[in-house]
Amino acid sequence: MGLLNERRHREKAQTREQIGGNPKTKMSPLHFVQWLNETPWSVFLRESDWPFAVIETVHILGLGLSVGTIMWVDLRLVGLAMRRHRTSDVISQLEPWAIGGFIVMIISGALLLSAEPLKCYTRLSFRLKVVMLILAGLNFLYFDTRVRPSLTSYDEAVTLPWRARMVGYLSLALWLGIIFCGRWMAYF
Amino acid sequence: MNLQHLLLPLSFSQWCERSLLGHSVKYSRWEFAILETFHIIGITVLLGSTLVVDLRLLGFSMRQISAAQLAREFAPWSWAALSFMFVTGIPMFLSEAVRMSLNSAFLFKMILLCLALLIHFTIRRRATRPGAKENAGFGKLAACLSLMSWLSVALAGRAIAFFMTLNGA
Repeated sequence: MGLLNERRHREKAQTREQIGGNPKTKMSPLHFVQWLNETPWSVFLRESDWPFAVIETVHILGLGLSVGTIMWVDLRLVGLAMRRHRTSDVISQLEPWAIGGFIVMIISGALLLSAEPLKCYTRLSFRLKVVMLILAGLNFLYFDTRVRPSLTSYDEAVTLPWRARMVGYLSLALWLGIIFCGRWMAYF
Repeated sequence: MNLQHLLLPLSFSQWCERSLLGHSVKYSRWEFAILETFHIIGITVLLGSTLVVDLRLLGFSMRQISAAQLAREFAPWSWAALSFMFVTGIPMFLSEAVRMSLNSAFLFKMILLCLALLIHFTIRRRATRPGAKENAGFGKLAACLSLMSWLSVALAGRAIAFFMTLNGA
């Protein structure tokens, strides 16, 4: 194909340099990640031009689908959009699409991670991203168990109780942070 | 001289990179990364607001609300996101205008962007005008065209990075 990405190839060269150093203890997480980094699957994905590009593109489209729908639920919860519509309608109509997009993101994200485990492990932005993903998961869990059951009594209200608003603001902030860190993995 | 140099003369690209904004972004460690990140956040909001209306036009989601009403409520968000995309996209272009003038993915993206805007402000606007017929074939066609055009803009945008070294740029 002959279509090469200068930046990515420079990154690959850097990663190869990092592999050169021996881990101090054999069972360290770093050792495991280094082993993962050298599996044939990982090397194939990392050094390929088209499969990596396709997976990365699918990951971005999944982002558009999931965060593009999650944001409307959050904006309804905090009262910034769709205020005249019932909260339960907005949630029930958009949730399947958000979940679908999230599954696409998790699968393509796992593939991207398997392509560059060492790079991800050593980047601060990736660690922050994982922390924020876990927090977003906990936030959803809180929404599902504490906020959702009581929503029916406030369905028509423009301003929802503080718990619902807090979940919305947290979700918006966490997803912004996740996108930020995801993009910055290419740089820092 | 190739086709793209006719559309985007080298002297113009070089002027772009010398401009205050282009020069600043080109030689800064952080600016391009920050712009790119906000560009992605912009596309998420733009895709989000377009997608939900298109899904409604196709009859897949938000059936309690009419497509026209959804489109009207989302309009400020799409406008804000679209302007945000231009505000972050133009400095990025200025900083690497010479490379972009040789990048076929960039040329495709600009053509697709014009097409997407054209579809958005003609066919789709007609399909989401107040009083438009619900679940009409025309609305479904408009939704498909809108979805496909914006997705191709996003795909071509992502492809710019993959076409970076083509023609030695």
